[in-house]
Amino acid sequence: MIFLRRQLPLLITMITGLLFAGQYYVPHPASELLLTSATKWLQIIGGFALVLGVTSLFHQHAAKIRRKEAGWGYSLVLYAGMLVTIAVGIWASGKESIDGAMTLFGWIYSFMMVPLQGTMFAILAFYIASAAYRSFRARSREAAVLLIAAVIVMMGRVPLGEYLVPLSGDVSQWILNVLNASVRRAILIGVSLGAIALSFKIIFGVERSYLGGSKE
Amino acid sequence: MAFAERMLKIDRRIIFLVIGLCTLLPLLYPVGLPIKISPEVRSVYDYMESLPERSVFLLSIDFDPASKPELHPQAIALLRHAFRKDLRVVAMTLWVSGTGMADQLLTQVAKEMGKENGKDYVFLGWSPGGTAVIINMGQDLYTAFPSDYGGKPTKGIPVLEGVHSLKDVAYAISLGAGNPGVEAWYVFGKDKYKFELGGGCTGVIAPGLYPLLRSGQINGLIGGLRGAAEYESLIGQKGRAVAGMDAQSATHAAIIVLVAICNIFYFSLRSMARG
Repeated sequence: MIFLRRQLPLLITMITGLLFAGQYYVPHPASELLLTSATKWLQIIGGFALVLGVTSLFHQHAAKIRRKEAGWGYSLVLYAGMLVTIAVGIWASGKESIDGAMTLFGWIYSFMMVPLQGTMFAILAFYIASAAYRSFRARSREAAVLLIAAVIVMMGRVPLGEYLVPLSGDVSQWILNVLNASVRRAILIGVSLGAIALSFKIIFGVERSYLGGSKE
Repeated sequence: MAFAERMLKIDRRIIFLVIGLCTLLPLLYPVGLPIKISPEVRSVYDYMESLPERSVFLLSIDFDPASKPELHPQAIALLRHAFRKDLRVVAMTLWVSGTGMADQLLTQVAKEMGKENGKDYVFLGWSPGGTAVIINMGQDLYTAFPSDYGGKPTKGIPVLEGVHSLKDVAYAISLGAGNPGVEAWYVFGKDKYKFELGGGCTGVIAPGLYPLLRSGQINGLIGGLRGAAEYESLIGQKGRAVAGMDAQSATHAAIIVLVAICNIFYFSLRSMARG
């Protein structure tokens, strides 16, 4: 059982990891065919992952409703929303409109999901303004630099700022292109090196947490 | 309690009201300040202009309705430009919750420009797998999308004639609100399959994509509502983005003023405490 639970997955990970790392550098048709098949599998697994995610969400909220935990009413709303959407989605074969006529599924999407998501995102502007007023203070030299840079970029990104201070557009562009890009690039290089190191650890079986928590 | 202290603890509903008014009033009474075109947006426009007629243009609408205010105008402006240039438009999405919206916007612009589904454009819809879809499209487009959004088999659709994989795409643009988005299209798409790639994104994401822009990994970037407004100005069809710029100007100004006021009160309170 240990072989099936531990050694076999480690072996599969190592072989496929090395195979597909090498595949990138081999443009042979057989190698390309292998990649085509593997990505096809990945797409199929992706579809199942979606089902798994929805099932897990149902389980989690069912437990919340059963135990009547704080905010269980919201879980009930989630249940109702999901079940109704799934039912009308299946009824409409997943189509928002059929022959130009909007289906009930399309109605839920256009008149419930779109405005609700838009509203959630729009509310952010109000909270950002409130948070900026409360916390954006030049408490230290570093905070002052950040504050000045933010004000310049905010001015340079809108026509009013460029109209009032014509130089703000160019300075904002320089901040984004030079200071921001170089710092972001340094972070990216660091993250990429970390990802490469982690990949090697997974391929060679040093990092095994993805196998789950059961002990040998 | 000192005045400065009271002002620092001001009811947040007053701030909400200020921001609300700064958004609403410019929308009702637009000023129409001139919009300066940035080099990154011009690059996208110039590349689109340089494409010969009937070139394949891939638009990946990688966002959901939450990012609609910023990215929807970008998509509309790009589609208008592509249809006006008589490019073959292949649209798709990597975000399942954006599928309906993407279909609606493509149909709307195509109808406005008198374009025909299947002949001038196709909407491939969404396929599971996230970034794996990009690799799969690079290998074989028909494996990744055996049928279009309407359920019609992709093999044999006139607009896809001569298109086998991403290698046959003349220009691809990902309008991304997160992951998978522009970065994924570069890492899993352009790097291996060598097509030209441009990006569009929300204002929050844009600074993070500048390294890709500076290194030429993407040839242009349309950032946020401002980028959309610039593109609308470039194609000469001003729409929602240009209309929204006055509101954005006013809210930015309001936030700058609020931050300045907060700092004045903060320092006056600090100097009072010192002495």
